Amino acid sequence: MLLVPCPNCGPRNAADFSYVGEAKARPDPNAATPEEWRDYLYMKDNPAGRLRETWYCRSGCRQYFVLERDTAANRFADPPLPAAEADGEEA
Amino acid sequence: MADIPFESPVTKTYDFLKPSPLGDAGGPPLTLSDLSSTGKTILRADPEAADRVGVGFGASVTVGDVLVCGQRPGEWMLIGPIAAAQAFVDGLGLDGFHSVVIHTHSRALFCLTGDSAASALEKVCSLDWSDDMTPDGAAASATVARVTCDIVRNDASGTRSYLIACDRSFGQYLFDALVDAGWEFAVAVTV
Ligand SMILES: [Zn+2]
Repeated sequence: MLLVPCPNCGPRNAADFSYVGEAKARPDPNAATPEEWRDYLYMKDNPAGRLRETWYCRSGCRQYFVLERDTAANRFADPPLPAAEADGEEA
Repeated sequence: MADIPFESPVTKTYDFLKPSPLGDAGGPPLTLSDLSSTGKTILRADPEAADRVGVGFGASVTVGDVLVCGQRPGEWMLIGPIAAAQAFVDGLGLDGFHSVVIHTHSRALFCLTGDSAASALEKVCSLDWSDDMTPDGAAASATVARVTCDIVRNDASGTRSYLIACDRSFGQYLFDALVDAGWEFAVAVTV
């Protein structure tokens, strides 16, 4: 079982969360080109190693937050960040 | 709204539990009650409003006839008469953006009471309901039998007691799941 450390609820079963995806800066909707939107929506780095990713606490506090996870070891680094404090991520 | 007759999502009868097929379990009995007709109001506001509300995420407090439960950051479930809940919100003097929505008919509310209530609840919920982690007054949101629920520990006269709220659509299913979890503790049902 993967325990996801929610900043509000504490560690919980990953089944209580939705995986949102790699945490990336959202382009400015008024200025972004189609290529920038494509890159934001679909082009993932998918590294075998440390990755910043957004999670949604679906069954608990219903907040978005950003975690860093080692995708090779499937382990999280503490502490999680509220999504609003992550680079360009919107809560 | 207030004149609409309330219809509980729990429509089955549980006569097969009387008397308990397991006999007397000893000690105070475990009871499961359907309190769905109780007034439920959801207040959403800036999490900073917790100072005015008097309680924040993860805890609950009784104010007059209303149990104010901090279910999420910036979200409070007010259990009690609608008029009392509205008066409570009015008295807060919230000036920022906030919403107050009556959920009496859209949410089911059950109460699991008894010394073995935590043991029964933990069979179908992954949270730790021990005294250290969740003392009387604790509020949390979590899945119970895979249903997203708001749960408040609200001991009654020293007896361990949990209020469990979920969407009305899942009410009958969740009630049955709690009956099933309470079976080994000789649960008695009040509907
Ligand atoms: Zn959470």
